Order: sequence, then C-alpha cells, then structure tokens
Amino acid sequence: MTTIPESRSTASTVSFTSSASFASSEPALSVRQVLTLERVLAGEPEVVAGAGQLDRPVRWVHVAEAADVGVMLTGGEMVLTTGVLLAGDEAKQAEYIQSLHRAEAAAVVLGLGRAFPAPPEAMRRAAERCGLPMIVLHRPFPFAELTEEVQSRLVRRKFAAVSLSETVRTALTALITAGAPLHRLLDEIAQHSGCPVVVTNLAHRVLATAGERPAVDDVLRDWERVARQAGAGAEDGWIHAELGGRGERWGGLLLCGYRGDTATGRLLADRAAEALVLHRMLGGAAPTWEEQSAQSLLTDLVSGVVPARQLLPRARAAGLPVNRRTFVPLVVPGADPAPLGRVLRLLGLPGLVAELAGDATAVLLSLPRDQHAAQLTAHFAARLRTETGAPATVVAAADPRTAWDDVPAGLREARHVADAVADSATALDLPAVVRLKDVHLRGLVRLLRDDPHVQSFAERELDGLLCDADPELLGVLRTYLATGRNKSRTAQLHHVSRPALYRRLEAIQGRLGVDLDDFEQAASVHIALLAHDAQQR
Amino acid sequence: MSRVIRAALFQTAWTGDKESMIQVHEQAARDAAAQGAQVLCFQELFYGPYFCQVQDKAFYEYAERIPDGPTVRRFQSLARELGIVLVLPMYEEEQPGVLYNTAAVIDADGSYLGKYRKTHIPQVRGFWEKFYFRPGNSGWPVFDTAVGRIGVYICYDRHFPEGWRALGLAGAEIVFNPSATSRGLSRYLWQLEQPAAAAANEYFVGAINRVGVEDLGDNDFYGTTYFVDPEAQFVGEVASDKEAELVVRDLDLAKLREVRDRWQFYRDRAPGAYGPLTAP
Repeated sequence: MTTIPESRSTASTVSFTSSASFASSEPALSVRQVLTLERVLAGEPEVVAGAGQLDRPVRWVHVAEAADVGVMLTGGEMVLTTGVLLAGDEAKQAEYIQSLHRAEAAAVVLGLGRAFPAPPEAMRRAAERCGLPMIVLHRPFPFAELTEEVQSRLVRRKFAAVSLSETVRTALTALITAGAPLHRLLDEIAQHSGCPVVVTNLAHRVLATAGERPAVDDVLRDWERVARQAGAGAEDGWIHAELGGRGERWGGLLLCGYRGDTATGRLLADRAAEALVLHRMLGGAAPTWEEQSAQSLLTDLVSGVVPARQLLPRARAAGLPVNRRTFVPLVVPGADPAPLGRVLRLLGLPGLVAELAGDATAVLLSLPRDQHAAQLTAHFAARLRTETGAPATVVAAADPRTAWDDVPAGLREARHVADAVADSATALDLPAVVRLKDVHLRGLVRLLRDDPHVQSFAERELDGLLCDADPELLGVLRTYLATGRNKSRTAQLHHVSRPALYRRLEAIQGRLGVDLDDFEQAASVHIALLAHDAQQR
Repeated sequence: MSRVIRAALFQTAWTGDKESMIQVHEQAARDAAAQGAQVLCFQELFYGPYFCQVQDKAFYEYAERIPDGPTVRRFQSLARELGIVLVLPMYEEEQPGVLYNTAAVIDADGSYLGKYRKTHIPQVRGFWEKFYFRPGNSGWPVFDTAVGRIGVYICYDRHFPEGWRALGLAGAEIVFNPSATSRGLSRYLWQLEQPAAAAANEYFVGAINRVGVEDLGDNDFYGTTYFVDPEAQFVGEVASDKEAELVVRDLDLAKLREVRDRWQFYRDRAPGAYGPLTAP
C-alpha cells in the first residue's frame, strides 16, 4: 500500500523553521469531509475502493474526462469524471486509475450514468490495489456545483488560516510591545489553541505552562515520557516548535493534544514560537524564564494555596529531582537570587532559587538521601559569604524534609527564622546558618505572633504606652530591655543624660504599672514588646 | 542490579593566572567530594587560558611533564586525600619542543594511571592548535579506575566517530570529553554529537566546556557541560552557558548492559567491511 506524499502527511511534529513553506501546512479538506458536504450527499456517494484512505487532504477539485489525466495533475486533487472515454476498455480503465495514483491524486469520483450505469469492476479493483479512494455518485448531478462548493470552502479555509495567523500575530505583538510577561503570552496562545501549552528549555525542563489547570497537570504528571514521545512525533495533536535565534536553539514550545487540524495547529505553534523568540530577545535584564518558573513554584509552595502534592509534577518538570531526595528549605534575608544561584551552580547543588516577597530569597535544595544535609548547608552558607563578599550574610535553614508534602511547612519555618533574624543579623553576630533553635525567644514569638492570645497579651502588657502617642518612650523601653537593662548604654544610645533617662523610665513604669527592676515583670514586658514588634512587620 | 556512581564535571572561566586557576579547581574537587562525587573531570587545558586563539610561543611555558610535573603531583595528593578519581586535561611537554594536548588520569588513591593525548588537532581561526601540539600517539587507552573503566576524548576529537568507537571496543563505560569551544562555531553541534556518540557506542559521556570570553580573543565559550547516558538522554540538567558550574550526577553504569542487551550494535557491527576506513 502506498501513502500520500510526505509533504502532505499529517506528522504531528515538524520542526519549526522560519523558512518552512506555507504549502506544507496549508489547510485542506479531507476526502471524507468532502463526501459529507450537503451538495455531495445529494449525489448519493458510495465509497467503492480505498476506504482506508479517506483522511487524505484534498487540495483542489478537478474535472477531467481525458484518458491521460495523470499528466495534468500535481498531486492532492480530487478528480471528477463520468468516464465517458473509458467505457468498454478495461485495460484503459485500470491504466487510468494507475496514472491518477502515480500523479498522487487524492481520490477519484465517478458519476454513474450513461458511460457506467454501475461501478466498473476493473477500475474498482485497480483503485483498491493502489489504495486510491474511489467514489461513485449514484445520482447524476452537475460537477460544477461540487467544484464550486469545494473550491470556495478551500479558499475560505485558506483565508481563515491567513486571518487566524494575522489575529494571533497582532495579539502577541501587542502584548510584547506592552511589556507583558511570558505567562500572558502563553495564556493568549492557550486561548487560541484550546489545549495546554508548554515551554521548555533544551533539557526538556518545563519553564512555563498555560491552559486549563487539570489538563496541564495531566501533561506534567508524566512529563519525562511525554517530552520524549512528543519529540519523536509519537502522539497525535502534539505540535512542537523550536525556539531559537541567531543560530542558537534554546528551547521548544509544545501544544499538547491540539484538537483542530494539524495545519492550523502548526500555524499557531509557529506564530507562538516567533513571538516567544522576540519576547526573549527583547527581554534584556528581566528575570529569565527559568527564574520566573522557579519563582512561581516556590511562591505557590510557601503560600500553601495549592497542596504540595499537586505541585509535585511542576517541580519535577522544572528540573528539580524529587524521587528519594532530602529537601532542605532555606531562606536568605536581604539577598538577590542571582548570586545564590551562582553559588549553587559552583557547588553543583541541585535546587531552585526564587525571590520571595519582603526582600528575602528562598532556596530549596534537593539532595540525594545519602548526602549530609547539615554539612552541605553549612558549606553553601560559608561559600555564599566568601563568594558574595558579604560576611554577615545569614542563611536561615529549616530542618531537612524527606517527604515532599512537608516542604511548604519547611519553607515557612525557614522564612520565620529569616524573619526573626532579619534585623539583628549584624548585631547578634550570628553564625552563617541559623535554625529555629538559634533564634530563641525571638523565634518563638515570631512563630506565635498571629496567635490572638499572644496579640491580646501584648496589647494588655503595653496598653499604657500604646494608647499614648509618645513613640519615644516605646523606643527607650526597647533599647533598655535589649541592652539587658543597662541604663548608661541606653542613655548613650538615645543621646540623653542619665537623669533624663531616669525620668523616662519612671514615666514608662508609671504608665505600664510595672516595676522594671523586677525580673519577671521586665521579662513579661520584653516578651510583649517582641510580640508587638513582630506584629508590626 | 544497579551500579550507581556519582560523577562530576567542572566548567569555569579563566581567572587570569595559573595558580589561582589551580586553586579554583582544587576547591571544585573539594566541593565535589563533599557531595560524594567519586570521579571528576576538568575542562580542556584546565589551568590555562585557551591560548590557541593566538599563535605565541610564550604559551609553551604552560606545558608540564606528565606525570612528573608539579600540577599532576599536586592533584595526586588531593585525589588521595579526597578519595576521588581525577581527570586532568593539560598541556604536556614530553621533552623540549615535543608538546601534546593531554589528559592525565589519577585514581582515587592518588596513583597515576596514564594519559591520553589528543589525536585530532584543529587549525582554524581562533583554534590554532597545530602551532602548539603534536597529534597524539597514545592510541585509545581506557583506564581501570576505582569507579569504572574511563576513556578520554579531547575537544576536536569529538567530531571523529572512529575514536569514540575505539574507546567503546576497549571497554570504556564513561568517556570524558573536555573541550574549549565557542558560540557560533559549534553550538548547535554540542548537544548532538556527544549524545549521538553515547548512543552509538552505548556508554556514558561527560562533556565539559569552559565559559566566558578571555583576553586573548573573541571566542565566547558557552559552557553547557553535561552528562549523557547510553540512550542519549541528558542526565539531569545541562549546565549554565555563562557561569562556572560544578555538575554532579548519579550515573547507573548498569544501564550499559540494559541498553546493549536491547540495541546490539557491538554484535551487529561489520568490521570486515570497514577496511576502506583505514586505507591511507
């Protein structure tokens, strides 16, 4: 059995090149579609041969009564004939079919009537042998009607494709010139394609996705396999376009399970790829796609809005090893993601890095189970100090987690620790790695700051000062307690004389109704103040 | 039965002098060992700039004796200390005026196992290597190290399938391909040729390329160091194209058998028909 020429095959993955000829992806009707047109149905069509080839595209409809019609064809035509020149000569009939086949015609339609009252067996057999769809029309009807109908549909389709191409290009260009981020572009593409859209780097790592969440999750769940098969063109509706420019390839775009015809999908993928290449080239100093992808993942993990389990496919697709790993959640206050990423690369530690809200950067390390998490964390923190030339940099670390589901809690723990030391890193001369146990009372109060009991405790203890609009007294109290009730140091730090400080301390004690020389009362006020400060941030 | 080894590659930029370059590589070996890496390969001519961008005999000075030179000695003791197999691509002086582009292989106990001398020497703009190196005469040695059988195929060698095959026939399980190659010249081949060699010969390949632009020319070295398995799949991520990076990956050497049992390329090759390949 022969197949149609390759240029019109429906291979689902064809590499994108800007010079790819439009002809190869030109939208066409299939033989099957032509046969279901109302006007054609009126002719009572019957497929008498080549029934397995009805999905062949029809490029044009051609009426020909010549016996040597083959030489007039260029391939893809549906040939209409009454067979008036073939009647009575079986050899001629077979040769006629073979010449159509050689010319790569899409199908032959024979109008029954004067020349052939019934389907001619010789033609039918020849057509069946070479796999050429042969259709007979039981009711005579003017071929002109059919050609007009099919031709105008083909032209409309071609126009629709050009118009779709223009619409998509205009929309994407508008987004790019407006400085829209990558995900806005992808949303637009997904809207046109109606299927998940995935952007990957060369290592098949997923950088961004768009489309309906459940569908995207389905795609990502088995990403490794999917990515390889898509590359091999194994599944229908998987349309891949390469991303690259200036002679370099750097990624790919995949329409996953596009349900329209391949040609339109190809066109969408090509327009999308062009737009993404342009977007990346104009991107300049904006965060890279890799950074954006890590950021949205870590932010979702920390926020807890989406259960960790559901984020696992995204993490895996983003290149984070997740099977049998130890996860170490870290947060580095006041650091940029770039140097952190650089140190991770230098050490060869696999992990994701992303900036969180509030001037802190999160790092999620993923280590093989046999590696010593604490040692490597210390190694990372030490190298971070030397590589960035910032000797006071502190890495807030949560305890390593072996279950992915515990990672969000770990990230939140690291963020709490970072939060607790954010102001005091230099003052307290902290080690390079701090954990919850290192931040003592301050850490506990930070963790509990949203607790209503703690809040009302702080309000109650500090009521006398808070309802008063004298912020200076609160400041003096803070310094006095932080210096371990050292009066001379407090006076010095507030640039006041000792007698003046005494007066203020008396005022404070009076308003709060406490005796700060009493250890328990002072401790109580100190805790309340820490809680109050923690709530303010 | 899996047989997993942890292997590492290191790509970096020229620091400006040989001593600091060596120190950067010592640190990389320590970083790799800290993560349990059992074998590490550096980039081509690791402690120098890529001086083949110019033709200047001043750079002959970078050549050292192998194994009796100071750098090999230094890394032998580091290998012993860390218990790691090291592959050191460097400039070798056999005797004055006889220079090679070579890689020394040090076992995890610090013993010197031997060397491979780059066979194919390019001479094109930005890669004036014939000025500096004789073509190698070491054949295709495979070294029996603490982690497995290792071969080395240096930079431009990678364009020639014959050496890859020779290493495979000699039993290599991992072939390291230390390189210095620049954007524009070979970028699109970089992720085609070594994976193809890994699949054709059914072993692991570790490809290393330096990063950055150096003072001696415009070559923009694009890193993207990686490991690829016998099925031509990348093992984990490909490294950065701009920054220094240590690549540490777990390689399951049992995969060789699995893939070779499936794709019988060694059984089905036809050496009897390859006579013309070796006709001069």
